[in-house]
Amino acid sequence: MNTANQPVAADAVLPRALETTGVGLACELPADSGSDGRIWIPAGVSLRIRIANPAHRARLLAAIFDMEPDPDLRLVLLGAEVNALSMEERIALRARLAFLAAAGGLLSNLNAWENIILPLGCHHPERLQGIAVEVHALVTELGESPQTLLGKLPEEMTLLEKKITGFVRILLEAPDLVLVENFAPGLDSAERMRIPYFAATYHARHPLGTFVQLEDVLGG
Amino acid sequence: MAMMGAYRELEGCMQLLGHVLRRLTVLKLPPMAEQLTRQIYFAGASAMPGIVTRGAFIGTLIIVYVIEVLEADAALAVKILLWVVLRELGPLLAALLVLQRSGTAIATELALMQITGEIASLRQMRVDPCDYLVVPCVVGIAVSTAVLTFYVQVIAVGGGMLLSALVVNATFDELADSFFLLASPMDIVYSLLKSLLFGVSIAVIACYHGLHPPGISINAIPKAAISAVTQSTLVVMLLNVVFAYLVFGVLWFGLVTTEL
Repeated sequence: MNTANQPVAADAVLPRALETTGVGLACELPADSGSDGRIWIPAGVSLRIRIANPAHRARLLAAIFDMEPDPDLRLVLLGAEVNALSMEERIALRARLAFLAAAGGLLSNLNAWENIILPLGCHHPERLQGIAVEVHALVTELGESPQTLLGKLPEEMTLLEKKITGFVRILLEAPDLVLVENFAPGLDSAERMRIPYFAATYHARHPLGTFVQLEDVLGG
Repeated sequence: MAMMGAYRELEGCMQLLGHVLRRLTVLKLPPMAEQLTRQIYFAGASAMPGIVTRGAFIGTLIIVYVIEVLEADAALAVKILLWVVLRELGPLLAALLVLQRSGTAIATELALMQITGEIASLRQMRVDPCDYLVVPCVVGIAVSTAVLTFYVQVIAVGGGMLLSALVVNATFDELADSFFLLASPMDIVYSLLKSLLFGVSIAVIACYHGLHPPGISINAIPKAAISAVTQSTLVVMLLNVVFAYLVFGVLWFGLVTTEL
C-alpha cells in the first residue's frame, strides 16, 4: 500500500509489526497483496493514501464499515483490533467512523439540508433543535453560501457541493475517524485548492480525530 | 429452480413484513415521520382525484350492467351495491389502482436507489434502509389504500344509487334507506381490514423487489417493477378469495350477514 503524506503525518507507514497503541487506522492484508500489503496511520493525523488494487480497496472498506469479520485481514481501528471485538463492540466502534463517498453519498430525492440532517435525525433526534445554526456555520466555513446550497437537490449541485454536503453531514456526528474516498478526482484546480480546508475544519472541531483520504490514483 | 426462487421471495417478503412489525416505533423519528407523510401524500392525497374518478366510473358501470342484465329491482340493486361494490369491488379497485400507481413507483425507486448506491450510502450513515424506506412505505401505503377504499366506496355506491334511481323503479331516497338498513358496521370493518391487508401486501412486495433487483444494470429496474406488479396482483386476488371464503364459505359463515 502506497501513501502520499500531507505535512501532518511524516511517518505514516511503519514497516514493523502491527501495533494498536495510538493507532487511527492500521491494516495488514494477506501476503499476496504485494505493495498494498500494510498501512499504519497514527490517531489525530490527516493524510492521503493510495490503494491501487480495487479489490483490496473494496475489501478494506468492507472490513471497516460492514463489520463482517475478515480473518485474513488484520485491522486496527482507533486502537482496537477489530477481529478481537464482539459484535456489540464492533457496532459501538462503527458509530465512531464516517465515510465520505466520492460523490458525497447523497440521496437524490432529498435536498442538501435534508441530506445533512438525515443521520442526525435517526441517531440523535434530540440534537436537531438548533442544528441549523451549526450547519450554516459549517457550510460557510467550507466556502459555500448556506442560502444557495441547502435548498439544492443533488442533481443541481456541482461535485464539490455534493462533497461539502456529505462532509457537513459527517461533521455533525463528530466521528473519530473520517475516511474520504477519491477527494480530488473530478474537481478543477480552483476547487482542489479548497481540499485542505476540509481536514482543517474537521481538526478544528475534533483535534484528536483522524482524517484519511483514500485514493486509487495519486494526484493533486 | 423456479420453486426455490418463489420460496426465497416469499421468505424475503415475510422477513420484510416481520421487520416492519417489529420496527414500527421508528416512525417516531423525524426522518421516518417525514417519509411517512410523503408516502401518504404521494400514494393517498395526490392519487385521490384520479383513483376516485376511475373507481367511480367502474363502480357505476358495473351497477348499470348488472341491473340491465339481471333486470334488477330496487332491492336487488341495493344488494348488489352492498355486496359487490361496498364489500368486494371497493377494496379491490382501490388496491389495484394503488398497485398500478404506487406499487410500480416504489419498486422502481428502490431498485434505482439500490443500483445507484444510495442504499449503500444509507448503510454508510448507519441508517437501516428497511427502517428508513420500508417501514414508512408499508404503513403509508396501507393507510392510503384504506382511505382510498373508503372514498371509492362512497363515490361508487353514491354514483350507483344515483344511476340505479334512473333505471329502476325507485327513488334515490328509497334506495339509500334500504341500503343503510341492510348495511352493517361489520361491512365497514370487513372492507377496512381487507384494504389494509391489500395495502400491506402491495407495499411489502414492491419494497422486496425494489431492494432485490435482478442485477445491477439499468434493465433490472423495469424487471423489478414487473415482478412487483405481477406478484402483488396475484397476492391481492388471492387474499380477496380467502376473505370471500371466510365470509361466505363454511368456515366463518355468517360473519357478515345480509338478508337474501
